[in-house]
Amino acid sequence: MEQRTVRRSAFRWQGLLAFIIILVLLVAFSLLLLNSILKWTMEYNLGQLNGAEVNIAEVDHHWSPLGLELTGVELTDPAAPMQNRVVVGRLSATVNVEQLLLGRIHLEEVVSTGIRVAQPRRSAGEVYQLPSADSVANELRQQFANFELNLPSTDEVMSRLQLQTPAAIAKAREQLEAQQTKLAEAKQALPTEEKIKSYEQQVKAITEADYSNPAALARAQQEFEKLKQQFEQDRAAVLAFKEVASESADTIKALFAEVRTAPARDLERAKQLMQLNSEGLSEITAVIFGEQVQQWSQYILLAYEQLAPMLARSADVEPVADERAQGDWVEFAAASAPPSFLIKHAVTEFVFGETQVEVDWQNITHQHAQLGQPTTFRARGENSNLWRVLNLNGELALTADGVDARQQWQVQGIQLQHLALAESQQFAATILSTLLDSEGSVALRDSQLSGGGTVRLADLAMQASAENKWANVVAQALQKLTHLDIQTDVSGAMTAPVFALHSDLDRQLGSALQSAALDQAETQLQGIRADLQAQANGFLGDSEQDFNEILALVTDAENREQRLQSLLKAKLEAQLEDKLKDKLKGFLGGG
Amino acid sequence: MLTLLARFFKALNSETGAWALAFAFVLGMIMGITPLWRVHNLLILLVALLFRVNLTGFLLSWAVFSAIAYLVDPISHAIGAAVLAAEAWQPVWTAMYQSAVWRVVQFHHTITMGSLILSALFAPILAVISYFIVSRYRQHIQRWFMQLKLVQMFKASRLFQIYAGLKGE
Repeated sequence: MEQRTVRRSAFRWQGLLAFIIILVLLVAFSLLLLNSILKWTMEYNLGQLNGAEVNIAEVDHHWSPLGLELTGVELTDPAAPMQNRVVVGRLSATVNVEQLLLGRIHLEEVVSTGIRVAQPRRSAGEVYQLPSADSVANELRQQFANFELNLPSTDEVMSRLQLQTPAAIAKAREQLEAQQTKLAEAKQALPTEEKIKSYEQQVKAITEADYSNPAALARAQQEFEKLKQQFEQDRAAVLAFKEVASESADTIKALFAEVRTAPARDLERAKQLMQLNSEGLSEITAVIFGEQVQQWSQYILLAYEQLAPMLARSADVEPVADERAQGDWVEFAAASAPPSFLIKHAVTEFVFGETQVEVDWQNITHQHAQLGQPTTFRARGENSNLWRVLNLNGELALTADGVDARQQWQVQGIQLQHLALAESQQFAATILSTLLDSEGSVALRDSQLSGGGTVRLADLAMQASAENKWANVVAQALQKLTHLDIQTDVSGAMTAPVFALHSDLDRQLGSALQSAALDQAETQLQGIRADLQAQANGFLGDSEQDFNEILALVTDAENREQRLQSLLKAKLEAQLEDKLKDKLKGFLGGG
Repeated sequence: MLTLLARFFKALNSETGAWALAFAFVLGMIMGITPLWRVHNLLILLVALLFRVNLTGFLLSWAVFSAIAYLVDPISHAIGAAVLAAEAWQPVWTAMYQSAVWRVVQFHHTITMGSLILSALFAPILAVISYFIVSRYRQHIQRWFMQLKLVQMFKASRLFQIYAGLKGE
């Protein structure tokens, strides 16, 4: 029997059917799980960009037009895992299919609503990348904890105070003794009272004698000339003593005056030394308002703090080379090629209490050089429940050197009520009501912030209380405030902005605290004052007699000088001439 | 797995062509070494199903080379990175990168590119070696092998019962 060999076809047509069935099953399976796959993928990738866990409640997709809808997006704050830095209520986006086939994600229209910042989480989110800088809020809290003021003790003040009163007394005492010795020595050269009286008697004898002839008169004149020379010598001695005594009196007088004023000067210096010992006095505004201003800044700097780090991370994805199915995706985009990720237009609707504000975004990407345009954003709002005018606009671009951006804002008529500034046991302060205006600008160059603005609080009503007596002074001063202008300076890295706050409040509260400190120190100062006064008065009382004696010496010297000068010299010459003339008339006229 | 092995021995001892087995090994090797979720693997699957290559050999080869791929990935990445970075080829890659079809192929992925090149280079070698081994086995080893006491014992085993229960393709 002839055996026929049938050559089988190279094709296995039932295999084609099996392939089609496998293909259909794969597609059906993918479609069924597409939403879950998208959810997992986005949670993972957004989590990497955010640096902490991202949760998405629900993901839905539609084919025509190709798009996505996300609800309940929560981005954990890496610095505070029990808090979401941003919560997005709902987000919808349409995808450009043509660009998607080319591997580029271009979202034509993104609308996100119900955005809230700094919302609490139900459970702590996982953190993948810790923020590099410490929270500024923590620093400010620490500053407040250190807000301890101390008065130096009396002993401390006395040790630092080089008292002038005892020194002045010692100096005066020493000088007094020296002057007394000096005067005692000078007094030796003075003509005695007896000597002067003797002079007076001699002059009297000469002037009252009866001269019968010119020869007797001539002898009297010669005798008087001799006396005159002695008068001159004695007068010179009296004048010299008078000068020394006057100088001594002036010196002692000046030293006594110094002793009298020294206690007052010492007391003034004691007051100066008895100041509040705190370095924090110049930073009261930052301590009290810093945390709140930082919270407000989160709204102003939202674009920088939230979006820029994500874009920066998306541009800096590290390739993983040696793991299965990972490897490296190489880009061959020409310089003029469209960016691989682009949101052409987005509207984000932020919620502040019951008020919403829409922020309009253009060209969100991490490849601004390829796009040739920066990411721009603009928010406007007028006459809402919360504010009268809101203008915020700016632009942002990632460059080879970092992030370049600038932003201006102007907010007017924000009504704040019952806003807690500090709630510690030692100090509590609340803004009961105020009207806030703010304007300013911030720029980013090479990822470094610079700029600042003003925060004006008008119609201010504050409530404050404190346990510490010094903090209580601050609390009382705060309650008296009706308006306050705060200047803010922003600097530091984009992800960790540093705020410097200053206002007139620093000076006002500083002087109030110093005044209160002096009241507190008054008892101690009273003691110092009484002690110094007693020392000065004691010395002056004891030395008064000595000083009066010096003054008496001066008076006595003046008296002697006058007696020598005027009585003796002037009268003698006149009398001698008159008598001589009378005698001569007698001889010549025949009396 | 026992069933798969039994089927393989059945095919080895059947009238299935040696080239059909060799091609099955090659296709399984490409699919095993390259990343699974790639468009080219759909093409491999279509060829394996549509043409009369031995499916058992294909599946076995895929399983074995998938395990080997974990060791080969660093080499694949290095080859792919070098090729994609080659200056002379940049215009080609850039042009392909602008095409939706090529982007779907994911040629710009280093491990995909490297493993494809590696498997393409190894494919003819594996095909020839496989054909040679299957042919030699059938010519010289099969009868001697079947008479071994060990094989006789094996014939009484559970694996052989599965093997005997199978119908040839």
